[in-house]
Amino acid sequence: MSIESREAAAALSDIEDIVRRVRQSRIYQLASLLLIMWGALVFAANIGSFLWPRTAGYIWIAVNVAGIAGSFAISAFGQARTGVRSFDGRALAALLLFFAFGLFTCWLGHFGPRELGTFWPIYFMLMYTIAGLWVGKAFVAIGLSITALTLIGYFFVGPWFEPWMAFVNGGGLMLGGLWMRRS
Amino acid sequence: MAEIDDIIHQPLRLRIMAALNALPGASGLEFSRLKKLTGATDGNLGAHIETLAKAGYVAVDKAFVGKKPQTTVTATAAGRGAFARHVATLQEIIAGAAGKP
Repeated sequence: MSIESREAAAALSDIEDIVRRVRQSRIYQLASLLLIMWGALVFAANIGSFLWPRTAGYIWIAVNVAGIAGSFAISAFGQARTGVRSFDGRALAALLLFFAFGLFTCWLGHFGPRELGTFWPIYFMLMYTIAGLWVGKAFVAIGLSITALTLIGYFFVGPWFEPWMAFVNGGGLMLGGLWMRRS
Repeated sequence: MAEIDDIIHQPLRLRIMAALNALPGASGLEFSRLKKLTGATDGNLGAHIETLAKAGYVAVDKAFVGKKPQTTVTATAAGRGAFARHVATLQEIIAGAAGKP
């Protein structure tokens, strides 16, 4: 069987398209587990902060440590299954730098509890949205939706801000993760 | 004009091989995910996987996860080699055409 160059070019373009889809699908599979885990943790931390506001600082430290440990565990599980490591030393360094800049901004801005509860989700969603420009539209959609809902909560939800954020941020991440698994 | 692998060149089989070849090592894809990635129907995908399996290009593993049957398709070493040669041939055809006056 022999073919013309136009057909060969079309076949190569088809291959490129499928490879891109497979890559995106694998990113979504790994990211979905991370999103579901972080969503559950953020949900619990927001409810905990609402019920026990004095210990909110400790709750968030515990949640972040658990989240980082869980990310390593999910990455190891993913590596065993697919050969791809999604969370490694470089990812941890990036996350710590990200946290450091966030802490510096909070210190500089003298944020109150409500501002802190608004700043961190928006800051994290900025990362999701930027990453989405490269890895998939789902990240952009999740990032922008949660940012918008967080701002609505900040301006209009009054004393129910933490429960609102539990559902918007925690629930949003979990729903986003479940949606990614299906896409 | 160069000779190409007509088992792989069929459009859906090309997409199946491209998807499986994009995975690392011995990883495979579940039937349902492969169906979504290639945009094929159940029957069509099953028939083309069978053709590729007969050629020794893919391995099909059927197992039960809980009570649900799960079919996983993996590219064999022979399949990966054939796919790499096929892609090289496609590139040669394009390069050859570009070199013509």
